[in-house]
Amino acid sequence: MAAEQVLPAPKPLNQAPWFAPVRNIVILLVLWEVAGRFHLVADGALPSLTAIVERFWADRADYPAHVWSTLVSSALGFAIGNIVAVAAGILFVLSPLAARLFRGFNVTIFAVPTIAIAPILALTMTGISPRVTLAAMGCYFVTMTATVVGLTQIDLRSADLVRAYGGGKWDVMRFVQLRSALPIILAGLQVAAPNAVLGAILAEFGGGGRWGLGIYLLGSLGRADPPRLWSIGLVATAIAGIAYFIFGLISARVTGASKAVTMTTSLPPAGARTGGQWPSLAVAFGSIAVPLVLWWAFIKLLGVPEMIGKTPWGVIEYLFFLPLSQQAQTRLLDAMGQTLPITIVGTFAGLAAAFALSVSSRLVPNFTRALMPVALFSQTMPLIATIPLFVLLLGRGWLVTLIITISVTFFPAFITLAQGMKMTPRAALDLPKAYGAGAWTELKLVGIPAALPYLFAAARLTVPRALLGVMIAEWLATGKGLGNLLNQSRGYLDYGMIWTVAAASVVLSVALYQIVVLVERRVLANMGMRGSE
Amino acid sequence: MRMTINRRRFMTLAAAGAALPAVSRFAYAADPLAMQAAWINDAEFTGYFTAFDNDYYKDEGLDLSYLSGGPDVIPESSIIAGKADLTLTTPDTTIKAIVEQGAKFKIIGTQYQKNPHGIISLASKPISNPKQLEGKTLAVPPVNVISVEVMLKINDVDRDKVNIVPYAYDPTPLIKGEIDASLDFTTNVPYTIKQAGGVDAHSFLLYDYGYTIFQDTVVVTEETLATRRKELVSWLRASRKGWDENLKDPNAYPPKFAETWFKGTGRTIDNEIFFNNAQKPLIENPGGVFAMSEDGIAKTLDALGQAGIKGTRDMFDTTLLQEV
Repeated sequence: MAAEQVLPAPKPLNQAPWFAPVRNIVILLVLWEVAGRFHLVADGALPSLTAIVERFWADRADYPAHVWSTLVSSALGFAIGNIVAVAAGILFVLSPLAARLFRGFNVTIFAVPTIAIAPILALTMTGISPRVTLAAMGCYFVTMTATVVGLTQIDLRSADLVRAYGGGKWDVMRFVQLRSALPIILAGLQVAAPNAVLGAILAEFGGGGRWGLGIYLLGSLGRADPPRLWSIGLVATAIAGIAYFIFGLISARVTGASKAVTMTTSLPPAGARTGGQWPSLAVAFGSIAVPLVLWWAFIKLLGVPEMIGKTPWGVIEYLFFLPLSQQAQTRLLDAMGQTLPITIVGTFAGLAAAFALSVSSRLVPNFTRALMPVALFSQTMPLIATIPLFVLLLGRGWLVTLIITISVTFFPAFITLAQGMKMTPRAALDLPKAYGAGAWTELKLVGIPAALPYLFAAARLTVPRALLGVMIAEWLATGKGLGNLLNQSRGYLDYGMIWTVAAASVVLSVALYQIVVLVERRVLANMGMRGSE
Repeated sequence: MRMTINRRRFMTLAAAGAALPAVSRFAYAADPLAMQAAWINDAEFTGYFTAFDNDYYKDEGLDLSYLSGGPDVIPESSIIAGKADLTLTTPDTTIKAIVEQGAKFKIIGTQYQKNPHGIISLASKPISNPKQLEGKTLAVPPVNVISVEVMLKINDVDRDKVNIVPYAYDPTPLIKGEIDASLDFTTNVPYTIKQAGGVDAHSFLLYDYGYTIFQDTVVVTEETLATRRKELVSWLRASRKGWDENLKDPNAYPPKFAETWFKGTGRTIDNEIFFNNAQKPLIENPGGVFAMSEDGIAKTLDALGQAGIKGTRDMFDTTLLQEV
C-alpha cells in the first residue's frame, strides 16, 4: 500500500480490462459460499450460493408465470413512462415557461418515496394499473432529464444551417435536436429499464393479485426459507440487469460507442427568463400548484370515492378541521420526529461511506470498475428479501435503520463521486505532482475540491433515497416513524392518515432536496464553481 | 374453472387497458358478483375454491369473480370503491370504520367463529399465557397492535413490559430466537416452523384470553345489501356448501388445487392441508358455516368495547343467513 502511493505499480500489459472485476466477483462469490455453507452469518440466515441455486432449480416450474407477469407490467410501464417522459422533455425545451411551471412536479416525481405511494395506488386503481404506474414513474425522471439534456446540447452550426434555409423552431427540433438527442435518450432508457422492473415488483408486493415476482416473494415470506427469498430476489436482480444490458447494447449499436451513464439528479436548466410577462413569483407559485392540481385531477378523473381518495384539500381538512385533527397532528408530528433525525444522519452516513470509497478507489485504481456489478446488485435486490438478515445481524434499533439507509444510498452516490473525481483536469493534477506530492496530498489539494460539485450532485441523489431507506426499515424492522404510521393506518382504514403520511413524506423529501440545492448554490458560488448534473 | 381463469385473464387485460388513459373502472358496477379475499390464495379460502370448482356458484346462477388479497389490499376499500361487492374482513377494522368514519357497512356472516390469531412461540421456550409475555419481545403486524394491546389489558399485563416490534410474516426471526413470540394465524405458522426450523411451535389463541372476536367477517355495503340481497343469499348458500364439502375431509381438497388456485404461491400443499385441518374447529358451528349467534355477536362487541371501539348490534345483519 505504502509503496503504491509513492510509485504506482505499472499495470501488466497482458491483463485484460475485465480481469479485475471478474476476479473480484469470483472472490466475492467464494466468500459468500463459504459463509453460507458454514452458517457463519447470523446462524445460517445468509444461505450459501449453492443452496440458493438448488432451491431455484426445485422451484423452477413456479417461475415462468410470475416472471412473465412482472415483465408485462414493467414493459407497459416502461413504454408509457418513457413516451410521457420524451414528450415532456420536448415540451420543456420548446417552452421554458412550461419547464419552470413543471419544476415542482418533476422534483416531486424524483423525490417521492415509492413505499409511500404504493398503498395509494393500490387503493385508487385496479388490476395491474398500480404496477404499470409505479414502473412508469420509475422511468419518467431519468428519461425526461436525458431528453432535455440531449435536446439542448446540440451543434449550434447545424441549427443555424436549418434556420438559414428558413426552418422554424419545429424544423430545428426535427432535423437537429431530436437526432442529436437520440444517443443520450437511449442512455437514459438504459437506466430507466431496471427502474421499471423494480417499480412493478414493489407494486406487486403490496397490491394483491395472483402472479408476479412480488407476489411470489410475499407468499414465500411466511415460509422461513431464506434460499427461496434470495433466489426470487436474485431472479428480480437478473431481470433488471438484463434490461440494463439490452438497452446498453441497443445504445451502443445506435451511437457506435457506449457511454457511461449515471442518474441525473438535477433538473433541466430553467432556460432564459421569459420577461416581465410572467413574474417569477407567479411562476414559482404555479410550480407548487401543478403537482397539487394533478393530484386533485387524479382523484377526480378516476372517480375514487371520497372516503378513500383524499384531495389536497381533504388532507388539510383531515389535519386541521376535523374533530380528530388534534390527535392526527400529534401522531404525524411524533412520527416525523422519529423519522427526520435518522434520515439526516443516514444521508450524511451514506455520503460519507460513498466519499470514503471513492477516495480509496482513487488511491487504488480499478477498484471502481470492479465494484460496478456489486453496485447494480445492491440497487436491484429487493430489500424485503434481505431484511430478515439485517434484523438478525443488527437487531431492531437505530443501527439497523442506519445500515439499511446506507445500503440504499451509498452506491449511487459513490458512482457519481467516482466519476467526478475521474474528471479532474489533468493539468491541475500535474501541478502537485511536479512538486513531488504523493497521491494523498494530490487528492487533498486538487481531487477533493474538484469533486465538490459532484458531492452535491450525490447529495441530491441521496436525500430522497435516504428517506425511502429509513421508511422501509421503520416499516419492516423497527416499528417507528412514518413507515410504521403508514402501515398501521392502512390496517385501521384511516384513509386520511394514509394520504397525509404520503403527502408529508413527499413534502419532507422535496424540502430536504431543496435545502441541498440552496446550500450547493451558495457554496459553489463562493468557490466560483458550477454545479454538476 | 376454465371459465373463471379466462374471465380473470380478461379482467387483467381490461385493467391494463384502463391504465393507459386514466380511465375510471369504478364507474361500472359489474353485473357479475365479485368477492375480495383478505390474503393471497391459501387454505384460508379453500371453501370458496371448492364451491368454484364444484360449480356451486354457477348452480346458484351467480357469475362470481374472485380477487386475491395482499398486504396493501384493504378489503373494505374494495367494496367502497366498487371493485368488489363483498369482502372478508377483520371485524375490529370494519367496526372501527363504521364508528369513526361513518362507513356504511353491514356484517352478514362470519367465516371463523373463533379468531385464529394467536401468540406463537417455540416449544423449547414456550409462552402459554399473556402474563408470560412480560419481559419478552413480541412481533406483531402493525395492523394488529390494537388487538394485542386489548388482550394484554384484559389480562392485566403491563403493556410497557412487552417489547412489541413489527412482524413481516416471516417466521425466521422466531426460529432464530431474535424474537420470543409472534402474532399470526395459529392455523398456519406452527407447520412452517416445524418444517423450516425442525422445531416445534407452541401457541395460544387471543380468543381464549378474552379477545373473543370473529374473523373473516363477510362485509357488504348497505347499498349492495339493499340492491343485491338475492345474490348475497345465493353466495352465502353456495359458499356454505363449499365449506361443508371441504371440511368433510380436510385432506381431500387442497391437493386438487395444486395446479390451479394454489399454483405458484410459494407455499406447499402439505402446509395447506395442515392449515385446513387446523381451521376446521374454528369455522364449524351448530348453526352452519357463517352463522352468527347472538352470543357470538355480543362477545365480539364486548371485546371491541374494551378496545375503545364502540360497536352496536345493528352493524350485524343475520337475516340473510336465516334465508339460507
